[in-house]
Amino acid sequence: MRFAVDTGGTFTDLVLEDGRGRLRMFKAPTTPQDPVEGILAAVEAAADALATTSADLLARGELFIHGTTRATNAIVTGETARTAFLTTKGHPDILVLREGGRLEPFNFLVPFPKPYVPRALTFEVPERVGADGSVYEPLDEAGVLAVIEELREKKAEAVAVSLLWSTVNPAHEIGVGKLLEKHLPGVPFTLSHVLNPILREYRRASSACIDASLKPLMSRYVGGLQERLKKAGFGGRLLMLTSKGGVMDAAELAAAPIHSVGSGPSMAPIAGRHFSRADARAATAIVADTGGTTYDVSLVRRGEIPMTPETWLGQRYRGHILGFPSVDVKSIGAGGGSIAWVDEGGLLHVGPQSAGAAPGPACYGRGGTRPTLTDASLALGHIDPDYFLGGAMTLSLEEARKAVAEGVAEPLGLALQEAASAILRLATENMVGAIEEITIHQGIDPRGAVLIGGGGAAGLNSVAIARRLGCRSLVIPEVGAALSAAGAMMSDLHADHRSMFFTATDRFDFRGANAALRKLGERCRAFIRGPGKGAVESAVEFYVEARYKHQIWEIDLPLPVSRFGSKKDVARVRAAFDQAHEEVFAFRDPSSEVEFVGWRAVARCRLRKRRFGRLGGEEARGTKLPGRRRAFFEGRGEVNARVLAFDAMKPGGAARGPAIVESPFTTVVIDPGARAERTRTGSLLITL
Amino acid sequence: MARARAKARRKSGLDPVTLAVLHKRFDAVTTKMANTLLRTGRSGVLNLARDFSTSVVTRECELLTGAESLPIHHLSGADLMARSMMEMHPRLKRGDAYLHNSPYHGCSHPADHTILVPVIDGRGAHRFTVWVKAHQADCGCSQPTTYMGHARDVYEEGALIFPPTKVQENYEDNEDFINFCRMRIRVPEQWYGDYLAMIGAARIGEREVLAMGEEYGWETLHAFSREWFDYSEKLMIAAIRKLPSGRATARSAHDPVPGTPEEGIPITARVEIDGAKATIEVDLRDNPDAMPCGLNLSEACARTGAMIGVFNSIDDVVPTNAGSFRRVKVHIREGSVAGGGKHPTSMSVATTNLADRVTNPVQRAFSKIQDGIGLAECGPIFPASMGVISGFDPRNEGEPFVNHLFLMVTGGAGAGKTDAWLTILHAGNAGMCFVDSVELDELHFPIYIKTRRLVPDTEGAGRTTGAPSGYCEYGPVGGGDLEVVYVSDGAINAAKGTRGGLNGAVCKNYLMRADGTLEDLPACADIILKPGENVASYCTGGGGYGPPHERPADKVREDVEEKWITKERAWEVYGVALDARGRVDGARTERRRKKLRKEQAAGAR
Repeated sequence: MRFAVDTGGTFTDLVLEDGRGRLRMFKAPTTPQDPVEGILAAVEAAADALATTSADLLARGELFIHGTTRATNAIVTGETARTAFLTTKGHPDILVLREGGRLEPFNFLVPFPKPYVPRALTFEVPERVGADGSVYEPLDEAGVLAVIEELREKKAEAVAVSLLWSTVNPAHEIGVGKLLEKHLPGVPFTLSHVLNPILREYRRASSACIDASLKPLMSRYVGGLQERLKKAGFGGRLLMLTSKGGVMDAAELAAAPIHSVGSGPSMAPIAGRHFSRADARAATAIVADTGGTTYDVSLVRRGEIPMTPETWLGQRYRGHILGFPSVDVKSIGAGGGSIAWVDEGGLLHVGPQSAGAAPGPACYGRGGTRPTLTDASLALGHIDPDYFLGGAMTLSLEEARKAVAEGVAEPLGLALQEAASAILRLATENMVGAIEEITIHQGIDPRGAVLIGGGGAAGLNSVAIARRLGCRSLVIPEVGAALSAAGAMMSDLHADHRSMFFTATDRFDFRGANAALRKLGERCRAFIRGPGKGAVESAVEFYVEARYKHQIWEIDLPLPVSRFGSKKDVARVRAAFDQAHEEVFAFRDPSSEVEFVGWRAVARCRLRKRRFGRLGGEEARGTKLPGRRRAFFEGRGEVNARVLAFDAMKPGGAARGPAIVESPFTTVVIDPGARAERTRTGSLLITL
Repeated sequence: MARARAKARRKSGLDPVTLAVLHKRFDAVTTKMANTLLRTGRSGVLNLARDFSTSVVTRECELLTGAESLPIHHLSGADLMARSMMEMHPRLKRGDAYLHNSPYHGCSHPADHTILVPVIDGRGAHRFTVWVKAHQADCGCSQPTTYMGHARDVYEEGALIFPPTKVQENYEDNEDFINFCRMRIRVPEQWYGDYLAMIGAARIGEREVLAMGEEYGWETLHAFSREWFDYSEKLMIAAIRKLPSGRATARSAHDPVPGTPEEGIPITARVEIDGAKATIEVDLRDNPDAMPCGLNLSEACARTGAMIGVFNSIDDVVPTNAGSFRRVKVHIREGSVAGGGKHPTSMSVATTNLADRVTNPVQRAFSKIQDGIGLAECGPIFPASMGVISGFDPRNEGEPFVNHLFLMVTGGAGAGKTDAWLTILHAGNAGMCFVDSVELDELHFPIYIKTRRLVPDTEGAGRTTGAPSGYCEYGPVGGGDLEVVYVSDGAINAAKGTRGGLNGAVCKNYLMRADGTLEDLPACADIILKPGENVASYCTGGGGYGPPHERPADKVREDVEEKWITKERAWEVYGVALDARGRVDGARTERRRKKLRKEQAAGAR
């Protein structure tokens, strides 16, 4: 039996897969003070439903895959360790200056961001290595010892060491590491060249500092979880999700906890890829996860999980850069709780503010007065006030109508339903904007793609979004409400290794490039023999970061070869680069040499043999009888729409819009002209 | 009122949602062009520093969008450039592209090559113009820099000047033009790579706007432009009416360089806010005649410089486009250094030095009208830490290189409500450019950057503080020489504080000999560093806003803890006493601040 647990902001989702491949989905409230409690509660809920005990259930567990926002939250709330930053002498302000850049040039209300590690905890190490790796100034050990003395005085709880050009010659960082180990025992540290050997000192330093600052906390958390699961009866292997869309052994993650930052949303594309293949057979899938406050979107092309070299914690230029590629998920402030408002010029906006969990949308009746997307859907008759979350919560239609009337209809001079419909349209437009950024802006046409709608609020306007983008179809998986946990269940064990080695097409260094690839390959194979032992299937993939001469931003190119045998191989890689450049940027430059900067190898170990199964236990749920309900649809007005139960729909059976499909986890609005059917995997496939 | 407004809008045919949607689409076009340029540009000034802008103008040559553009590049000028293209080329065809860098025809300065692509519909009608403006690493000047501060006129400056010039027809390059530039622009491959990137970006913009025309119909897009302008004007009126009516005059002065009088270039800006008419006027007429140097402002930069000061001082939700601009008037006197110069006056450095000397007094004038609005002065720029470096790379078979460094410039001004944005670079840039990575610079050029750090006690002290000054030290490696050219302002005339805020630190540039001795460098220099020699450069700080003794004591304590200022300065200037453990000593602080208040009152009398 396998467990996949995703600890979210509001709910802890558990997806359980039994020995026969049947799935079950459970939710328990997240317990921020002690998240393990929420995890154990979700297990308890599963045990109840399966008429057994937690201990018995856990004892049958072989894998426990866990995703947590613990690391991200710790950074946001400032609960990370008191971290010191050790930098090269003469360059103390790397984290202060960052890489410049600013949003909103005329906005003088946003203060300049503070450095991730304060200047008071930044120390200069007497040393300097040059760009070619030669030592300009040797490491002064006495100087380092003096710094260590200060670290002790200032009670540093973690240390990040990031020296200039340590990627080319790591001797000085290694030297500092040895001294820290000896003279500051017990204080965890991170060396930048070990963690993240990339060019650009700000990014590398930022990685190292974020990582170090999470070490004490995450080792405690992971250690605690492991221990309590063991106590509760679990004897299997604990794996943790990473922001690269894979899993790592818990102990390994505790040693490099930065990989856990942002790991939550990284799983949605994994699940999305699966459903796009299984349900729609589409080469391009747009995966959207709609929560209460954020809308996370990603793009899966030709089965590739999208990666971004730039991941920011918080806003670009205003937050902190992770310095790692991660699954490219774009988040915007849009969701069921997004607030609709009219500005002084009379323009309607939806979000980015959210009513959050408290007070929540006006219809929750918890004191919210401003209209939200959920209120608009309720006012339009799309949501049944008596069957929200399967009836677990009753909504106030009156409060929703009042909020929409006062907040939008009156200022804009619109009728109530027109106003509610406008909110929905604009929310749709915001979400479409987010998708366009990851598609059209990257030169990728969303037309013909399939949209995968995950998250509890996905059904409200996913049909509209898919239509607006010209998508071929929309898939709402039956486990969509726990898309991340489902993705976790499917994810691979992975290890990612990088090295820097510069060469170019006009003077290609075969020996150097092949040596770099060979070393990377060896590390990957060692991983496969070690943690990857027993995997169903393993593979090593190679990538190169390449660019035209004089460009400085590289394209991450999958290598069609793992070794350069001859000039022919160089030409092949070059051709692949030209093609990729044209795909992304609309032109190629055959007259320019191509430079190769960084090399990367990924080891992937597949942990599951079985296909991803179906949700079981439908028969046990109280299924509401289908009926009809008055609902408003754009362009059609108020109609008597069909209401169907998600779980009562049989594969092959179809429903034509206008209609509404409901389950205890979600409500799916089928606009007029669209057609919904249940697929063999249990998903709802909607053709537009 | 609200109902009437809604009714009026429906009559014109565009519902509020379509308005919002099209606004986002046009912004997206702009951003997409920018992204292409950043990722594909070849010179450091483009791909490292992001010194470029992208935008869309209507067929009437009115500025429609400018998301994420550098303010000095786009507020005014896009209109003038598009107009001159249409005047000189009355028959625009699909597939055309025009290069424009003439400050005499609406461009900011000659280094800002601008590609204009008219968007022509299927029937041959001109609908919109997209444009891409990028600062070039080199533009053919007589010295290896794009900033010829001391040039007597355009001939001595030597930059190639392109009034709107057709460089593509039917999407094909004019090879004559390419060959010509290859002969007259340094490191031609780099220039050509940047040219390709600019054309690529503009074509992507064209493609997007054409697709929008298909999807929505051109008349809808034109209706959108009109309504978007009206909407922006409405927000501008509301923003102006939030300000008190009033007028103020503020002055600033650029340091002397060859070609200017000994006292440098004084600039006077009068600002008048008229709440009843909902207008803001900036009068730049009271300024000297154009001078035989490269600092003269183009019309575009003089207007934009003034408008930046205005937009910095009002509510930031107002979109910057032709609609909101209807409420701003900038007066320029023909023949003046501030935007009235004519060919062959050199405007080589128009986007930065003197343009900032226009923006700064405008935003400071706002602060004089009411506490809490406007800003102090941003730091003047172009110290050697931001010089143009060139030479031959000994590590790479003597390959020539030229590039504009963005190593260390701070300069943010204390604002009405917040401390400085540290890396503002200069007033006209607004911090939009990137700061160089030491590793990238050392990898791409044969230089060694020994030090880059911020300097304590150099901030413009105030209730809100200006940026501290930054220091950097660099020189050649690998055995070759390194040529460094820069035009520095701010060694004499510091960034002024406002409403009792203190001035920012001045800039200082030195040549550091191999033995470590320092020699002063002039404001405007072209030097050749030998192996072992370095440039040592301090950039200017920004001015402070409000009396320093009004800065919350706890913030001052944090400033000390974070080593922005020393304990001594906290006491002397801010009147905050800290005990041995770094905590605020309330009683002593109060006594000291009382004294400082008294001194200030006496000074005011």
